[in-house]
Amino acid sequence: MERTMPQAVPLGQMEVFQALQRLHMIIFSQNVSPCGKFLAAGNNYGQIAIFSLSAALSSEAKEESKKPMVTFQAHDGPVYSMVSTDRHLLSAGDGEVKAWLWAEILKKGCKELWRRQPPYRTSLEVPEINALLLVPKENSLILAGGDCQLHTMDLETGTFTRALWGHTDYIHCLALRERSPEVLSGGEDGAVRLWDLRTAKEVQTIEVYKHEECSRPHNGRWIGCLATDSDWMVCGGGPALTLWHLRSSTPTTVFPMRAPQKHVTFYQDLILSAGQGRCVNQWQLSGELKAQVPGSSPGLLSLSLNQQPAAPECKVLTAAGNSCRVDVFTNLGYRAFSLSF
Amino acid sequence: MSSESSKKRKPKVIRSDGAPAEGKRNRSDTEQEGKYYSEEAEVDLRDPGRDYELYKYTCQELQRLMAEIQDLKSRGGKDVAVEIEDRKIQSCVHFMTLKKLNRLAHIRLKKGRDQTHEAKQKVDAYHLQLQNLLYEVMHLQKEITKCLEFKSKHEEIDLVSLEEFYKEAPPDISKVEVTMGDPHQQTLARLDWELEQRKRLAEKYRECLSNKEKILKEIEVKKEYLSSLQPRLNSIMQASLPVQEYLFMPFDQAHKQYETARHLPPPLYVLFVQATAYGQACDKTLSVAIEGSVDEAKALFKPPEDSQDDESDSDAEEEQTTKRRRPTLGVQLDDKRKEMLKRHPLSVMLDLRCKDDSVLHLTFYYLMNLNIMTVKAKVTTATELVTPISAGDLLSPDSVLSCLYPGDHGKKTPNPANQYQFDKVGILTLRDYVLDLGHPYLWVQKLGGLHFPKEQPQHTVITDHSLSASHMETTMKLLKTRVQSRLALHKQFASLEHGIVPVTSDCQYLFPAKVVSRLVKWVTIAHEDYTELHFTKDIMEAGLAGDTNLYYMALVERGTAKLQAAVVLNPGYSSIPPIFQLCLNWKGEKTNNNDDNIRAMESEVNVCYKELCGHWPGHQLLTNQLQRLCVLLDVYLETESHDDSVEGPKEFPQEKMCLRLLRGPSRMKPFKYNHPQGFFSHR
Repeated sequence: MERTMPQAVPLGQMEVFQALQRLHMIIFSQNVSPCGKFLAAGNNYGQIAIFSLSAALSSEAKEESKKPMVTFQAHDGPVYSMVSTDRHLLSAGDGEVKAWLWAEILKKGCKELWRRQPPYRTSLEVPEINALLLVPKENSLILAGGDCQLHTMDLETGTFTRALWGHTDYIHCLALRERSPEVLSGGEDGAVRLWDLRTAKEVQTIEVYKHEECSRPHNGRWIGCLATDSDWMVCGGGPALTLWHLRSSTPTTVFPMRAPQKHVTFYQDLILSAGQGRCVNQWQLSGELKAQVPGSSPGLLSLSLNQQPAAPECKVLTAAGNSCRVDVFTNLGYRAFSLSF
Repeated sequence: MSSESSKKRKPKVIRSDGAPAEGKRNRSDTEQEGKYYSEEAEVDLRDPGRDYELYKYTCQELQRLMAEIQDLKSRGGKDVAVEIEDRKIQSCVHFMTLKKLNRLAHIRLKKGRDQTHEAKQKVDAYHLQLQNLLYEVMHLQKEITKCLEFKSKHEEIDLVSLEEFYKEAPPDISKVEVTMGDPHQQTLARLDWELEQRKRLAEKYRECLSNKEKILKEIEVKKEYLSSLQPRLNSIMQASLPVQEYLFMPFDQAHKQYETARHLPPPLYVLFVQATAYGQACDKTLSVAIEGSVDEAKALFKPPEDSQDDESDSDAEEEQTTKRRRPTLGVQLDDKRKEMLKRHPLSVMLDLRCKDDSVLHLTFYYLMNLNIMTVKAKVTTATELVTPISAGDLLSPDSVLSCLYPGDHGKKTPNPANQYQFDKVGILTLRDYVLDLGHPYLWVQKLGGLHFPKEQPQHTVITDHSLSASHMETTMKLLKTRVQSRLALHKQFASLEHGIVPVTSDCQYLFPAKVVSRLVKWVTIAHEDYTELHFTKDIMEAGLAGDTNLYYMALVERGTAKLQAAVVLNPGYSSIPPIFQLCLNWKGEKTNNNDDNIRAMESEVNVCYKELCGHWPGHQLLTNQLQRLCVLLDVYLETESHDDSVEGPKEFPQEKMCLRLLRGPSRMKPFKYNHPQGFFSHR
């Protein structure tokens, strides 16, 4: 594993503090630039770092290429979620969503384009925004998080059009079902709810913890991750990672993973998941574990597949979580190297 | 025949030669020519060409006659004899002609030779004359050149320039009208002037010499006067001692110290001077003293003549010792080592008094052969300290000053040249000797003005006052903070060992009123034990757990939950925070590897330490961190979601007021305490 021996450098107060910060850093979110050559990562101190994937993957990559090109303080609190449109990077954390121009960030000019706060009910504590979802057909953004509602914001005008409520506890994750279009949300209350965007109503509810095959009461009932592929949905968290058929709301496959999973995604004919534990797990749709590839962080919180057509040479899987490092997998079979804050 | 006849005739000729020699006057007489016959005169008259023709004709005739005689003789006959006789007489006449011609030829030859000879002589004489004249010409030319090159001595004298001369010289010497036109007179005048000036200056010189003598005499007199003054001043000083003491102005004492200071080696001297200056100017709590034997210090620097005597003595001694048994190799090496590590007999003592009347005693030594300074430290307190078990190392002389500046652990010699010296006597590192000799910290070298550049070892290191002065203030301040923080920790440890976390009243606001988790154990652990703990790997890899740190283990308990905390205490406490690594044993073992909330707790204590510092200088950091740890454990246990499948009530009912129990993708518990509202929220 790529762990360097400690340097015998006298550490003053500043160096010790920075080392401690790096030790306790958590990278919550990652996002790939529209051109596909850069990766943005957001951490728990509210910083966003931009890494150059093309430089790190090139043959003349040196140690400095694995460091961020630019790091800037985006939010006061942690950056829980990020998405990218054609030109903008949208980041959300403690109650606000901010937009940045990719072109400007790459030139190291880090000034936010705009910031928006959805209308919250409570005023005592500002709820966090855990998930962002882009709906390209409507050109809108859906935010969900601590106040148990899904807010829709029109990207052109910046107004909040809808607020969908139905969850009884805060929302962890969102997924988009292209066809309908429907939004799936999973929350701390253990339910996966489907919402129709046109009618703004809850269409379907799946209470995962009530199904015996997948429920694990000692972990809790919370749904940490969601992914959907038109008729199919995979979700996990407190309950076991399960593949569901949406129309019939039945669990078809339970993946035998003990540790709660925090991120799951469909990839070609596989399902990739990551969570507590070092490894990125690759599952066959039948439920078999195809491979477990260890990373460098003790727990993973996000996976990102760079499938941007503009940069096929940067097609990599990156994983980040409870450390200051982002693992880069050029081939799903092993970890190539790690970028680090 | 002919030759005989010529011989006979020669005397005649000779005689006639002699006659004209005497009778030069006769030659002019043409009448007297008949008296004697001069063949020479005849030669001049006759034409050589015609003589030659005559000779040829005569020869022909002779040949013809001989041929006729021959014929006649061969014919024979009577009248032959008469004809032969006739012809014989003709031939005789021809013979005589031939003889005369021969004579004439000889005379001509002689004449010619004489003339040539004469002419040659004349030419020779002229030639000789010419040579003589040429020689004389050359000689004269040389003389002329010599004369032209002649430099008179007067040109070697540096005369003053013309303008100056005309300006300065009095008119009777310079004689302007005459000298302007005539360079010879001018030069003479200038020489005159030169002579005058020199005479004057010689006078002045004599006067000055006599003045100097006078003044020297005066100086002698005054010196004697002064030396007679010295004993009187001494007696006055002695008399004033009681007055000094009465007025608290120990000039004498300071004077004595300065006297001793003169024998200090350069680095200690620099330290002494700078420390005294700093103490007088900025910091009254600093006192400086010199200890040790001055005589020994003087003995180190004997004058060269004595040492030569010593050498001869030691030579004599050496001869004796060869008869005795030589000491073993080990003992020899030992002696060499001792010699190399020898200290200068004098040392400088600095006493730093802190606010609470505790004193830090620093003794600085100078290792002569290694050219480095070392320090020994001791902390004494106003009241007797009861040392708790875990606080053993806090104030120990070995480690109390470790890492005063980051990385300055004082176990290695700072002078790179020492390595070569060590190799010669088999010393591996100075670390083995620091207990005895003191620690060679880098700041000690800087205070002594010694600077060791890392790149090349230098043979002689010059002590630098400015280096010492620039570091003095910071170092003194750091020393004081170090002592005070260590003493504060000392007191806190005593309390911690009894299970009480001593939180001062001004830090109470950081914590809720009711804290149920208790600190049960607080012990020191060794560095090796720390490295073997399974939950401390991250700190080790980040390079934050070296062997200069102090390590402790704390145990916090509540109910069935046991929280182990491994603490790394940096010598630079409290500016560098202690680092905690946690391991919770409750329903399984949870560390930062498998539980995000344990990570969050560590983050609360390690990263957010600045709010826990308390008022300056932040000695409360460790105790506040421990108290916070107890509070965090409370929150963790109380906010743990109840497992519906298990029967029975929750072990820890929630008593803390929290807005939300979980937040964010990592499902964090609310660890942040808000004062004065008293509820917990998320960061």
